[in-house]
Amino acid sequence: MTSLRINGQIHEVDVPGDMPLLWVLRDVVGLTGTKFGCGIAQCGACTVHIDGKAVRSCFLPVGEIGNRAITTIEAVGETPTGAKVQKAWLDLEVVQCGYCQSGQIMSAVALLAATPNPDDSDIDAAMAGNICRCGTYVRIRAAIKKAAGAQQA
Amino acid sequence: MNAFSKPSLPVRRGLIGLAGIMALLLAWFFWIVLGPGPMSFAGGSRVTLANYHGVDPTGVPSELAHASLLKKGEYLTRAADCGACHTARGGVPFAGGLGFVLPFGTIYSANITPDKDTGIGTWSDASFLNALHKGIDDEGVHLYPAMPYASYTSMTDADALAIKAYLFSLKPIHAVVRDNTLVFPFNQRRLMGVWSVLFNSDKRFEPNATRSPQWNRGAYLAESLEHCSECHTPRTIFQSLNNRRKFAGATQAGWRAYNITSDANSGVGAWSDADLAKYLSSGNAAGHGSAGGPMGEAVDKSLSYLVPSDIAAIVTYLRSVPAISTSDLPAPKATPAPASYKEGVVADYDPRGKKVFEGACASCHGWTGVSPVTHYATLTGVRAVNDPTAINVAETVINGTDYMPAFGQGYSNDEIAAVANYVTARFGVSPSRITGKDVAALRKQASN
Repeated sequence: MTSLRINGQIHEVDVPGDMPLLWVLRDVVGLTGTKFGCGIAQCGACTVHIDGKAVRSCFLPVGEIGNRAITTIEAVGETPTGAKVQKAWLDLEVVQCGYCQSGQIMSAVALLAATPNPDDSDIDAAMAGNICRCGTYVRIRAAIKKAAGAQQA
Repeated sequence: MNAFSKPSLPVRRGLIGLAGIMALLLAWFFWIVLGPGPMSFAGGSRVTLANYHGVDPTGVPSELAHASLLKKGEYLTRAADCGACHTARGGVPFAGGLGFVLPFGTIYSANITPDKDTGIGTWSDASFLNALHKGIDDEGVHLYPAMPYASYTSMTDADALAIKAYLFSLKPIHAVVRDNTLVFPFNQRRLMGVWSVLFNSDKRFEPNATRSPQWNRGAYLAESLEHCSECHTPRTIFQSLNNRRKFAGATQAGWRAYNITSDANSGVGAWSDADLAKYLSSGNAAGHGSAGGPMGEAVDKSLSYLVPSDIAAIVTYLRSVPAISTSDLPAPKATPAPASYKEGVVADYDPRGKKVFEGACASCHGWTGVSPVTHYATLTGVRAVNDPTAINVAETVINGTDYMPAFGQGYSNDEIAAVANYVTARFGVSPSRITGKDVAALRKQASN
């Protein structure tokens, strides 16, 4: 049995240590907000937080997580930064099809937690690995800045 | 003046000069031909297996002492890594067809399944031994030393025939292998007979009575079965192994097989025994990164199947190989890069390198080089990243590894060069300056 701390709760899961966290989240624990995109850490749709840092869960073996805190899109709104990012996303209607957006929000929250007032190149460095096939990049950038402004306020 | 009169002084001087050059060439030729053997560095007294009184260093490990011949053969076939070369990309195992791209043409590996028409199904035991020990096939045709018979020659008859028994238990696959495309004179197989006379010892393994049983087991595994020298020892102009620089590293199939001598900076002298054992058996060791390319294959298909005592024996043997320094391979940088992308890289780099890195690499490798995802993706301390030729970094980007996707089709040569230079500059000890042309050349050298 592997013990995982997901969104503040301990989950005991009976899975092989090399199973990617994404499979455990979606298929074992039932948290389906985190999406499967490419499966090779190239698109960002599966992004979650491990101790507050953005990590691609499709490539992360559960056996390597240990006691570190896992946060998914289902609970990120409970943090002040997460709540501000979600509000900015709604205010600017960032989402089009939405498939990549839980990953986008997770990456954006991790960025703002580390860099409260990011410039364009900070946003590039943190968000370039999150791909959106609808092309919502312009609104994502605006929403991150809006959330950063709200944070400063 | 008749033909027998004494030649004039300038002519005499010329002849003496010519004789001098010939003598130098001959000396040089014999210096190469009479070079040391693969285990000469160890000194001591070597004895034939029959006269050796220690634990038999050949055969299978004690765990398999009572296993069937096929089980023993399977272990030895894996240890000799026959499958790595005798399997085409995506092809049926052992059915051959993998291409070795050489400067003078391409050689395709043989089908060694027991198919009677296209494989080795009609080979006698004697033919099989001849192939492994002398590099001659069942029709008397000389093999090219891409088949490492100069290493396998030290394999015992019993081990070679256990391998044959295992191969003959496989399903016969009818697969005609493409003809080699070597240019003259390399297409003259008879020349390989001359090569063998000069460079193949055709001697079975001789234990070293002054070394430990574990060392001898390691020597047998590393030299004969795993044939480590074939990639890690540089070659002479005649393509024989230059054992004066044993394990000092070479470039093979477009990848750099690194220095694995006990040199602390260029080689593996600074690695702990546990790190070496872990790297050999799993392809990864903390602080040293992951094996990729041909070494990744060797781990996957061969080394990962060895029992721990055999891995430990190889480590013991490796440790005994004298240190040789490689001038362009300093000690890898052991500290991670700064957490911010804004720090840690000099300014004059092609900005495309950072652009590719942030989009395709950072999510797994992180900006520090310590992967937030899996230790297999950590770049800190990796030899390839600390190699200012960036050959293996570029090859890894082009071909990927077991864990990493291949980006060769997704990025141009210039982009791959830029990201390789960015990676060595950010995470390594000295930055590379490779160009799109270098990357194009690397693409051509890969085996396929």
